[in-house]
Amino acid sequence: MKFLINPSKFNEIADYIFKPVLILSMLLFALGLLFSFYLSPNDYQQGSTVRIMYVHVPSAWLALLTFAIMTLYSIIALAFRIPFGFIFNTAVAPIGAVFTLICIISGSLWGKPMWGTWWVWDARLTSVAILFIIYLIIIFMNLSFENRIVREKVVAIFILVGSVNLPIVKFSVDWWNTLHQPATISKLSKPSIDPSMMTPLIIMTFAFMMIGIAIAILRIKTEIISRKSNLS
Amino acid sequence: MIILNKIISFYYREYKLNLSGFQDILTNIIFFFVSIFIFIFSIGPDKEKISVLGVGIVWTLLLLSSTLSLRKFYQDDFDNGNLLIMHLNGFSFGFIAILKTFSHFLFVQVPFLISIPIACVLLNISNDKLIYLFFSFVVGSFILSCLGSISSSMNLMNQRNFLLGSVIVMIFSVPIIIFSIGIINMEENFNSLISILFGILLIVFAINPWASGLCLKLSIENN
Repeated sequence: MKFLINPSKFNEIADYIFKPVLILSMLLFALGLLFSFYLSPNDYQQGSTVRIMYVHVPSAWLALLTFAIMTLYSIIALAFRIPFGFIFNTAVAPIGAVFTLICIISGSLWGKPMWGTWWVWDARLTSVAILFIIYLIIIFMNLSFENRIVREKVVAIFILVGSVNLPIVKFSVDWWNTLHQPATISKLSKPSIDPSMMTPLIIMTFAFMMIGIAIAILRIKTEIISRKSNLS
Repeated sequence: MIILNKIISFYYREYKLNLSGFQDILTNIIFFFVSIFIFIFSIGPDKEKISVLGVGIVWTLLLLSSTLSLRKFYQDDFDNGNLLIMHLNGFSFGFIAILKTFSHFLFVQVPFLISIPIACVLLNISNDKLIYLFFSFVVGSFILSCLGSISSSMNLMNQRNFLLGSVIVMIFSVPIIIFSIGIINMEENFNSLISILFGILLIVFAINPWASGLCLKLSIENN
C-alpha cells in the first residue's frame, strides 16, 4: 500500500492501472445507463423522473467521499510530514467540486417536477451548497498564494477546519425536518430500497468512482511533474 | 509574574494602537449605519416590513462590517516584525492568537455594542428583543473574532486575493447567524439556543489557537 503515500511508487502503479480503470469505467457506465434507463422499473409515484436518482445519489456520495479522503490526507500530511497528501489535495479538489455541482444541478432538475421548485432553503440543500463553496475556496486558495510551502499547509488546515461541515451534510436530514428525504441506503438497518433500483444505483456509483479515480490519476501525475520541475 | 507583566504591556500597546487609530473603528460604525440607510431606501420605509426584517438586517450588517477590519488583525504586526518579537519574548504562537483575539473583541467588536440600541430605534425593533440581540451579539461577536483570527492568519502570505479571508469568515458564520436569529424570534427557547451558541463558541475557541498559531508560524518561517 506504499503507493498511496509515495509519489514515485504512485507513478509506477498509476501507469499500470490507468487504462484498466478507464475501460472499466466506460463498461460500467454503459451497463449502468442501460440498467437505469431500460431495466429498472418506474416509481409508482414519481414515474420516470426517479431515474435522476442514478446520477444524483452517486455524485452526492462521491462529493462527500472526496472531501473525507482529502481530510484524511490532510491529517496524514500535516502529522507525518508526507508531501503526497498536499499533492493529493491540490489535484483532487476540482473533482470534488464538479461532483458537488452535478449533485446540485441534478437535484434541482429533480426538485422542479417533484417538489415544484428548483431550490428550497432546507438543511440538506444548504449544507451541500456550503460544501460546494468550501471546495471553491480551496481551489481559489490554491491559485492565489505565491509561496508553495505556505499554500499547501494553509490549504490542509482549511480542509481540516472545513470538515466540520461533513457530519452536518450527512445527518442534516435526521437532525432537522427537511423536505429532502432521510437516508434510505446508508443507514444502520436494512436499506429500504427495492433491489431492482439498488442494482443500477450501485453500478452507477462504481462507474462514477472509476471515472473519478481515472481523472484523479491524471491530475496527480500532472501535479507531481509540475512539482519536480518547480513550476508551481 | 513576568508573563503577567508582558500580557499587561501587550494590552497597553494594543490600547495605544487602537486609540491612535480610533477613526478606523468609527468608520466601521459609520459603514454600519450607512448600510442601514441603504437597506431602508431599498426596501421602502414601511414600518411593519422593517420590524420583521430588522433583526436579520442588523446581524448581516454587523457581520459584514466586522469582516471589514480583518485586514488589520495580524497584517500590521506581521509587516513590521512585531509578531516575531513577541514570539522571541516568550509567547507561543497559539498564545499570541488568543491574546490578539481578545484584543480584537475588546477594541473592535465591543464599540459596536453602542451602535445596537440606535440601530434598534432606527429599525423599529422592540425593547424586549433588544436584550436578546445584545446577549446574542456579545457571544456571537466573540465567535466572529475567533473566526477572523483563523482566516486572517491563513491569508497573511496571500498578497493577491484578500477578499478570500472575508469569504472564509462568512461561510463559517452561517451557524452563528442561524442560532442568533433563532434566539430573537423564539423568546421561550432562549436558554437552549444560547447554550448552543456557547457550545459553538467553545469549539471555535478551542480550534482558534491551534489553527492560527500554525498559520502564523508557517508565515513567519517562510517570509
